[in-house]
Amino acid sequence: MKTIIDFFRQNVENFPDKIALIFEDRKLSYKELGGLVDSFSDSLTELEKKSVVSLFLDNSIDFVISYLGILNAGMIVHLIPTNLTIQKIQQQLEISNSNLLITSNHLMNKIKDIKYECRKKSFSELNIKKNDFLKSNNFYNEIAYLIFTSGTTGIPKGVSITQCNTIFTTKNIINVLKYDESDVNILPLPLTHSFGLGCLHTSLFLGSTLIILKNATNTCNILEQVIKHNATTLAAVPLTLNKILNEHKNYSDYFHKLRLIITNSTSVPVKTVKEYRKILKNGNLATYYGLTEASRSTFMIFDKSGKETSVGKPSNGIQIKIKNESSNESETGEILIKGENVVKNYWKNPDADKKILDNWLQTGDLGHKDSEGYLYLDGRIDDIINIAGEKVVPEDIETIVRVLIDVDDVVVVGMKNDMYGEIIKMFVKKSTDGKITKSEILAYCLKHLESHKVPREIEFLDDFPRNEFGKIERFKLK
Amino acid sequence: MYYQKTEKSLNTIEIEIKKIFFQVFPDLEESEFDWKKKQNDYENWDSFSQLNLITMIEEKFNILISDNDAVGFQSAENFRNFVERNR
Repeated sequence: MKTIIDFFRQNVENFPDKIALIFEDRKLSYKELGGLVDSFSDSLTELEKKSVVSLFLDNSIDFVISYLGILNAGMIVHLIPTNLTIQKIQQQLEISNSNLLITSNHLMNKIKDIKYECRKKSFSELNIKKNDFLKSNNFYNEIAYLIFTSGTTGIPKGVSITQCNTIFTTKNIINVLKYDESDVNILPLPLTHSFGLGCLHTSLFLGSTLIILKNATNTCNILEQVIKHNATTLAAVPLTLNKILNEHKNYSDYFHKLRLIITNSTSVPVKTVKEYRKILKNGNLATYYGLTEASRSTFMIFDKSGKETSVGKPSNGIQIKIKNESSNESETGEILIKGENVVKNYWKNPDADKKILDNWLQTGDLGHKDSEGYLYLDGRIDDIINIAGEKVVPEDIETIVRVLIDVDDVVVVGMKNDMYGEIIKMFVKKSTDGKITKSEILAYCLKHLESHKVPREIEFLDDFPRNEFGKIERFKLK
Repeated sequence: MYYQKTEKSLNTIEIEIKKIFFQVFPDLEESEFDWKKKQNDYENWDSFSQLNLITMIEEKFNILISDNDAVGFQSAENFRNFVERNR
């Protein structure tokens, strides 16, 4: 069985001179990248197979060389997002039992005070030379990489993704989104996250060209790169897509050659979907639903109207069921996922392993299906608010209030209360120049919501706490 | 004989409280409203409606109602008296 390295190796042979990677002013062909990857693997010879090597690098060509080099050497890559705090980095290094940490000169300073005992090397200290890419190993059933998820409690859990999980997911991405070797892909997403990494795998698997960008917020640069490289696909979080709409008047001029924009989110705002459907005259906007533990479980291509709030249908070989008391999948319940994209277990965490029962991953996400089998996300089990025994899904309230003209966005959380167990607190971000008052929102809620769903408190915020991908962190509002 | 106030003679506090009652109980008819009418005489005055009345009144009059006080409100009159005392 082939691994991502095997497919990459094949492309080194098939397209040696084709550009594999572009980052800023640096370009590498498949042959050049292959040679550097082998040289990197050689630099790890003092470590045993299956050792954990932590990667603490920003998006760069060095990142890709290191990532592939570690896999090629039969070791496990531990991916650390560069925006983590020192405490969280230390926590992850301890849990992963890392043997070596690779970073850049620039980031070395950030980790100098970490107390965890392992060797720390800057990429530039390693003796990486250009040579031929010859090694062949078979690690199909082994763990390829570790990504830690913070969950709602903030305690990190290591997710162990195997080589076969990776290949299964990559094939699904290619089959559904019709990627091919002629694609030129723009990636302004961190490679330490499943979304960005999946795009890297797809490009290397097919032998296409990947343009890696440093960040997702510099929309000027993203649009310039799309034009400069005649890009055919763009991967971006909804926050980036909305920023493009808000900050660039002639955005549609940049997208005429794009055949695909892939995004991901619990739900892409309907107005964003509609706007991009208009802009992409020769292409589609698509999204997917997945967790690090079960990457790309569904796909949704927004090629016609009517299903804008759905995250699509399960990919090939993946089963999704809704667990609820009524056994009716059209009613909200927990989403369970089974398939080769689902991890077998977490990293040294038997408690977390209980979430995987008979190969079914209990996601903790709430959702329902429509009569055609399309999946819709309704929230998180952890986010359910229990007011004197009445269960409230925050999204039910948020959806109603979000339509108010002066309201830009709204988040609802449960707050502990002695009398009711929990009460509802609503955080509202007003639209620019929005003048709505708390009393007006409350009056609107009384009119449009069941009595137990009316918030007890309302607070106006300039913005919500978000993680590095723009996702709102509800637990920080509690 | 109990003197029923006309709409004209209501003060600002009374007007606002009455408005809140009609918002929290949308099925309440004008003729059914009475300042002395008790919680048990309302069809839908449950614990959630109680919470909503308190929330609306706190917000409208910029006051805080403690849990101890909250359990004592059993009529529109109770709310009016509390607001008049604490505003």
